[in-house]
Amino acid sequence: MRVLGIESSCDETAIALVEKQGDHFTIVKAAIASQIITHAFYGGVVPEVAAREHAELVFPLLEQLCLPRDGQSVDVIAVTYGPGLIPALRVGVEFGKVLAWIWQKPLVRVNHLEGHIYSVWPKGTPVFPALCLLVSGGHTELILMKDHGVYEHIGMTRDDAAGEAFDKVAKLLGLCYPGGPEIVRAADAGDPNAIAFPRPMLETDDFDFSFSGLKTAVRREVEQGKWKKEDVAASFQAAVIETLVKKTIRAVFQYHPQSVILSGGVSANRLLRQSLKDRLSIEQPRISFFAPDFSLTGDNAVMIAIAGAYLAERRVFVDPLFLQADPNARLI
Amino acid sequence: MIYTSSSASQTQQIAEEFAKRLTGGEWIGLVGDLGSGKTTFVQGLSRALGYEGPVRSPTFTIVNIYPTSHPSIKHIVHVDLYRVNHEIEVRALAFEEWAGRKDGVVLIEWPERSASLERRCSMRIEMQITKTDRTIFIPSV
Repeated sequence: MRVLGIESSCDETAIALVEKQGDHFTIVKAAIASQIITHAFYGGVVPEVAAREHAELVFPLLEQLCLPRDGQSVDVIAVTYGPGLIPALRVGVEFGKVLAWIWQKPLVRVNHLEGHIYSVWPKGTPVFPALCLLVSGGHTELILMKDHGVYEHIGMTRDDAAGEAFDKVAKLLGLCYPGGPEIVRAADAGDPNAIAFPRPMLETDDFDFSFSGLKTAVRREVEQGKWKKEDVAASFQAAVIETLVKKTIRAVFQYHPQSVILSGGVSANRLLRQSLKDRLSIEQPRISFFAPDFSLTGDNAVMIAIAGAYLAERRVFVDPLFLQADPNARLI
Repeated sequence: MIYTSSSASQTQQIAEEFAKRLTGGEWIGLVGDLGSGKTTFVQGLSRALGYEGPVRSPTFTIVNIYPTSHPSIKHIVHVDLYRVNHEIEVRALAFEEWAGRKDGVVLIEWPERSASLERRCSMRIEMQITKTDRTIFIPSV
């Protein structure tokens, strides 16, 4: 089965063609707008401006895939319908509807969070139930996936997402955007035990997170002016990672999954990957651990196509006449 | 009025009190540095207007919309322009859909990032971080 995935929930506009054979996936072609925005396209306009102008990007992206104009090589169309930014989502949704209508192909709607979970499938097939820690600029969620399409949302951030905390702390330290890689670079030269930052909500009974207070704690330390930037970065990173890892492990003991999945933009953080993997192999060595290929950590259309393939197999199709974007879409 | 808050729950209480003044159609700018309590303020305000769900920072999503249960206010539009660097980006947010509606309240964090949206704010709440507390300035009328 060949699935055309479309993603436009926030900053990225992306299209990908993925082929599914059993549980094996081949990425036939994939294109992300941020990779093609050049001066040729948008002379003078800054990339982040252009990137959110999804409407102007979808057809140039589709052209990049060099598909036959009649959609012959596509079996199913999969599109992100939410959650996300409504004007951004609408572009992808309407585009998907039009293609499904004109090519007369079945259409499936994919929840963006569900897409991130499926980003690990090219690495192998997790056994259910799978516990997923999804960490990105916009999300910090713990989701239990009991089967394809069967989810239980067990925890989430109550304020800032983990990736957002990285970006904002980088700003407080005078580092560049995006903050994740910059914090990591600074942290490599710092002492993670220099400052005992709070581990927010570590002792609560639920599986929720909160990173807003940690941001404020960093601000207070930075304003004292006595710490090296590297030590602040390393200590902050240690606090975030310990919080994420400990809560995830606790969820493992409560929900007894067969697999643990780490995904989302922050899953590109190698220390987080290693820490979660190591703790899991100590505490529950029989549970397998999955994290996506680094190219699939951020928002992309490959993961949407993969999630869409499983929806199509279950024949959970939607009518292109009635599909609507939902900025507050939930996984249930 | 000038308020002093020494905790997140106090900031939320101040916001809850402020929410009683709202009738719908207001555009409010929330001005203050990282960690000054802007999102915390919106959390308190949303609860007071009858929204039970989570209020999370819209820094990444830019716009969050919360349905409320209030006689005249049906939704809250929670905007965060922190990642907006150019006026042209505001166009892509499709703000016209919300402009002029009387059954919603628009709350904008970092309003100073967009001159066009800042102009629309009829009220500006300022939050400052002091050594130990937060100071919140709310205009009386």
